[in-house]
Amino acid sequence: MLACRGLTKQYETDRGPVAAVRSVDLDIESGCYAAIVGRSGSGKSSLLGMIGGLSRPTGGRVLIGGTDIWALSEAGAAAFRNARIGFVFQFASLLPNLRALDNVALPARLAGTMSRRAILERALERLADVGLDSHAEAFPFELSSGEQRRVAIARALMNDPALLLGDEPTSDLDEQTEREIMALLRDISRSRGTTLVLVTHNLALAAQAQRIVHIADGVVVP
Amino acid sequence: MSAASSCRLVLALAVQNLGRRQSRTLLLVAAIAVASAVTFGGVVAMRSVVASMQIGLSRVGADLMVVNQAALTNLTDALLTVEPTDSTLPADALARADVAGIARLAAQRILRTDQSGLGGAGELVDLIGFDPATDFTILPWLSERLTGPMQPGDVILGAARNLPLGTQVVLFGQPFRVYGKLARTGSGTQERGVFLHMASLIGLGDDVQARTGAVPPMLEPANVTGFLVQLAPGVSELQLRFALLSNVAGIKVIVGGSLLTGIRQGLVALLGGLVLLVVALSASTAVMVMVLFSAIMAERRREMGLLKAIGARPGQIVAIAVAEAAFATAAGGALGVVLGLLLLRLFERALVHHLSEMGIPFLWLDGAGTAAIAALCVAGAALVGMAGAWFPAWRMGRRDTHDLLWKEG
Ligand SMILES: Nc1ncnc2c1ncn2[C@@H]1O[C@H](COP(=O)(O)OP(=O)(O)O)[C@@H](O)[C@H]1O
Ligand SMILES: [Mg+2]
Repeated sequence: MLACRGLTKQYETDRGPVAAVRSVDLDIESGCYAAIVGRSGSGKSSLLGMIGGLSRPTGGRVLIGGTDIWALSEAGAAAFRNARIGFVFQFASLLPNLRALDNVALPARLAGTMSRRAILERALERLADVGLDSHAEAFPFELSSGEQRRVAIARALMNDPALLLGDEPTSDLDEQTEREIMALLRDISRSRGTTLVLVTHNLALAAQAQRIVHIADGVVVP
Repeated sequence: MSAASSCRLVLALAVQNLGRRQSRTLLLVAAIAVASAVTFGGVVAMRSVVASMQIGLSRVGADLMVVNQAALTNLTDALLTVEPTDSTLPADALARADVAGIARLAAQRILRTDQSGLGGAGELVDLIGFDPATDFTILPWLSERLTGPMQPGDVILGAARNLPLGTQVVLFGQPFRVYGKLARTGSGTQERGVFLHMASLIGLGDDVQARTGAVPPMLEPANVTGFLVQLAPGVSELQLRFALLSNVAGIKVIVGGSLLTGIRQGLVALLGGLVLLVVALSASTAVMVMVLFSAIMAERRREMGLLKAIGARPGQIVAIAVAEAAFATAAGGALGVVLGLLLLRLFERALVHHLSEMGIPFLWLDGAGTAAIAALCVAGAALVGMAGAWFPAWRMGRRDTHDLLWKEG
């Protein structure tokens, strides 16, 4: 499902080049829940950014379902992200001036392939999947941060992605809410067969994953 | 991807963005409105002035005036009629000399009198005799007239005389019908003048003699007060002036063209200045929009990273910002047009007064022309906004999505 080959990221900084990710080879099977763990600065975010098509590698390839995503054109990559990848961000990632329902509908509206009504129906379904269909009309500021995160998860699932990515998606939440959100992500991955790759430094939560990938100093350690 | 639906989304997001910082949006709209008001007001006023001038100048057909060398003359008044003076020239003075370079020639007789019965006691009235067949300076100024050609018993009144068309006026005991009225010319002689057929003026000779005891020289059929001359194409005023002076004795040639040239050159300079002002205004407004949108983009960088992450193309990111700017600046442009109209109202009186002092009747630009300028102002404001927003948005759209999401600054 997901394959990285010689994946490398080097940042050019004022203090010289920084090798954040160094020739990583990684394979994750379809439907798997994988946790990427490692110390701060080990290169986890850089790796996930390249996997998700957000940050261009300085070397190597990322294959998702056989597609070399960094060989796609800019527009092709945007369409690919839209259709195949869902992101759950750590920060409050909802557009503040859109209702919860419209935030969830956004990926489908960007795709522009479905009718407006079908989009809203599906968005409502996704909100129900995260237990928030009663808050469809609410604006982000009217929701708690846990609820906002759930809406963001519903949005990530909107276009039925094959791959769901999260970079420490719960680290700003309280422990109880964090556990709930992680459980929700795990359940979704299980019930939908979505491949789930999360970066976390919470080892207790990482232990629930089927696969743990340790990163240190930009390389995968066994 | 369906273009229409993604376009709707872009527009919807742009409109929603406008509502997010209402005071900032309003400030942008206000700034654009001021620029648009100045542009709209300035351009409409200038176009009106130019149109008025063109009509005014095309009516002023005379390039030279020829009078007796003893006559006193006032240059600015000398464009439509010759000066009232008792010195005369022989009626055939110019025809006899047969000077080349004359396109049109119109003789005039002017009797300045306080005995005609028109006007209050002691008020001097100019009775100007002209021949409608050769005239090229008076009839073009008619602002209203009765139907049909001017008859021998008709008079035309200067703009300052308030008698309705068709009314009877009595000059030296003879009845005349008010046939027409002149537009404002700004020249006292013409404003208060009474214009009549050459033959009718000569015909008053006996009545004038009965009241004043003498027939004034310009009422003798053999005499005229002076001539108005239009140059033939390719002939310069100087050439003709020289030819006239060397061929006809006892004359004075007055050149009016330099005055008109002066006005024309002034206008061109004014127009050039206005164009420069509009260009500078647009450029500085675009820079202002650019600064504002650089800040807006920085403020929303994470949001844009997010939109890109979920599948928005860089072009759509740019489109949202550009549409947002276009809406705000077009609204500002439209508001500016309204403000501009108010400004024009405010300055209308001063403008009209100023022009009529120069002898130009002021005519507002017609509705279609004004609407076209208004539409250009709104479109121009939108374009300025789009140009200003495009660059910061384009730079932002090209950046690494991961950087937009995570990197500060
Ligand atoms: N945009 C960037 N520019 C320069 N250096 C960066 C950038 N992003 C990350 N780095 C550096 O790359 C290394 C890995 O960072 P990151 O991938 O964020 O690690 P992690 O997510 O595991 O904390 C760190 O040394 C970090 O300072
Ligand atoms: Mg990180």
